Amino acid sequence: MKFNTLVYIETNNNTIEKVSKEIIAHARQCFKDNEICGVVVTDEITTILEQFKNAGLDKLFVIQNPLLKKFNVSAYCDVLSQLINDIKPSVFLMGATANGRELAPRIASKLEIGLTADCTDLQLDENSNLLATRPTYGGKMMATIISKTTPNFATVRQGAFKHKQFDVNNTEVCFYTPEMSCLNLFLSQLEVLKTEIKEPKEDWTESEIIVAGGLGLKSKENFGLIYKFSDLIGAKPAASRAAVELGWASHDIQVGQTGKSVAPKLYIALGISGALQHISGINNAQKIVAINTDNNAPIMNIADFAIQSDAVDVLNNLINKLSN
Amino acid sequence: MSFKIIVFIKQVPDTDDIRWTEQNTIQREGLESVINPYDIGAIQLAKKIRLLLEDCKITAVTMGPLQAKAALKEAIAMGCDNGYLLCDKKFAGSDTLATAYVLSQFIKTEANDFDLILSGYQAVDGDTAQTPSSLAQKLNIAQITSVKELIEINKEYSLWQKETPEVTQNIKIYHPALISVNINNAEILPDINGYIKAQTTDITVLSAADIEADITKTGFAGSPTQVKKAFRPEITRATERLSFENNGQISDYIIKLINKCKEQDEV
Ligand SMILES: Cc1cc2nc3c(=O)[nH]c(=O)nc-3n(C[C@H](O)[C@H](O)[C@H](O)COP(=O)(O)OP(=O)(O)OC[C@H]3O[C@@H](n4cnc5c(N)ncnc54)[C@H](O)[C@@H]3O)c2cc1C
Repeated sequence: MKFNTLVYIETNNNTIEKVSKEIIAHARQCFKDNEICGVVVTDEITTILEQFKNAGLDKLFVIQNPLLKKFNVSAYCDVLSQLINDIKPSVFLMGATANGRELAPRIASKLEIGLTADCTDLQLDENSNLLATRPTYGGKMMATIISKTTPNFATVRQGAFKHKQFDVNNTEVCFYTPEMSCLNLFLSQLEVLKTEIKEPKEDWTESEIIVAGGLGLKSKENFGLIYKFSDLIGAKPAASRAAVELGWASHDIQVGQTGKSVAPKLYIALGISGALQHISGINNAQKIVAINTDNNAPIMNIADFAIQSDAVDVLNNLINKLSN
Repeated sequence: MSFKIIVFIKQVPDTDDIRWTEQNTIQREGLESVINPYDIGAIQLAKKIRLLLEDCKITAVTMGPLQAKAALKEAIAMGCDNGYLLCDKKFAGSDTLATAYVLSQFIKTEANDFDLILSGYQAVDGDTAQTPSSLAQKLNIAQITSVKELIEINKEYSLWQKETPEVTQNIKIYHPALISVNINNAEILPDINGYIKAQTTDITVLSAADIEADITKTGFAGSPTQVKKAFRPEITRATERLSFENNGQISDYIIKLINKCKEQDEV
């Protein structure tokens, strides 16, 4: 039997969302024997088709209609549910973005299927059933969730997987035309009068080197050394939740379960104990260096390189060396 | 005709007070229960609507054990007009889909003439903000998710400000509709009249049969998703403990790693 995985590909201002590409890359690499399909809802496919080159899709379903230019959760739910009923994928995935979090439960509810939200890992068992893993109990534990209904449906947290380009470029493009008699009703129920797009911040989570500070730095002033040092080496600063809660850093740069997931080549953790909620955000880092005064801190058993020392002294020394 | 608002609330453990057992589960004994903070934000906006519209009634509803009556009494003390508890052994263990089904059966059997449903954007006890959307679909109504403020309302439609990390939007929606409220710091201090009202108002308790719920769609048995296993994340790095004579050597080592990182794919 042939299995297929369908990924809903979200676009924003004619750009494919990063998390959609991450999901495709993961499915392509880990879901053996599966045909990897994507679906995109758009008013005009030609402007975005180029971005699907080398994305790793076997098949791309295009739902194209000028009325679907703007995201409308009822309308998108309706057309995507029709596609799912027609092609019957075994697995259906989408990103846990703001829109995804609104859309996914509506589709699950319409199709009466289970949904596992905000997953950090996805695997298939020997029968191609989805094993969807997500943090639970406030991040102290992970839970692997299965679903009795098909398609097995999950949303995925941004940054959980790594985006990758594939050499092959033979995606088959299929136009899908759903029944749209309800469309006008959906569009008339709700009207967006004004949209202000917030200044897109530079995506620091993509940085190859991230320097993170925690409570062990002892003061806001000392935490400033994290900014100074990361600036000197062209890295990005980050913080533990404890440091954020004390106002040493903004929540935007918090790493961990209730912050961002990162996958840099090098993660330097200074004065961070390594609580599971923090570690769950750095599992995908290539190398982790920990500097901590306490050799028994959990992070000293988790990092690739554990260095017992005073983080403030090391930072000062590094800054001195690099400034000369 | 009066304007009818349903506010769905949830009783959650007081997260300021969470303690963990040896097995890493939440220690439930002796834990204070409170109304989910986001749901208090929803009650706050419902009260604002009642000030703006003549003849408006706010009904608080929750699904839960008998103890959840306390949350409904509290909601009435905060200003809701009455309360319903959806309580049945057959509801226990419901996942999002099953919960949304139970709530939708309440609406269909007891409150089909509602104008607005308000709910909190998410619950702080680890739920994933799915229930409101799932419910809106079951009722085939439009929704706005993550609302911060009410801008304008009349009986036919309302205007809201929605905010996500990416955008701020003003959205007009025709009733009946569902609004999920993303305000987690609302504080409503009940006055003496509120407390008296809470004491003198009976909470209506409804079973699966009362709301004509098909029990193959509720509770643990009616929930398609199931936990296969729960585990502590495994860490598989081979840690190298490094010792140095002084901080200068540590700096040199770190700078070497940084340079390697910039020159090569693998560190
Ligand atoms: C639901 C939930 C979600 C959470 N989400 C997150 C999250 O997203 N991100 C997150 O980070 N946390 C999160 N937490 C909090 C987490 O459990 C920890 O409390 C937090 O990560 C601790 O931060 P820390 O390591 O900076 O502080 P601490 O745990 O206090 O660690 C400080 C470390 O610094 C060391 N130290 C002290 N002095 C020095 C010195 N001079 N030089 C070097 N080292 C020194 C100490 O030995 C210690 O190991 C969450 C918790 C919960 C309950």
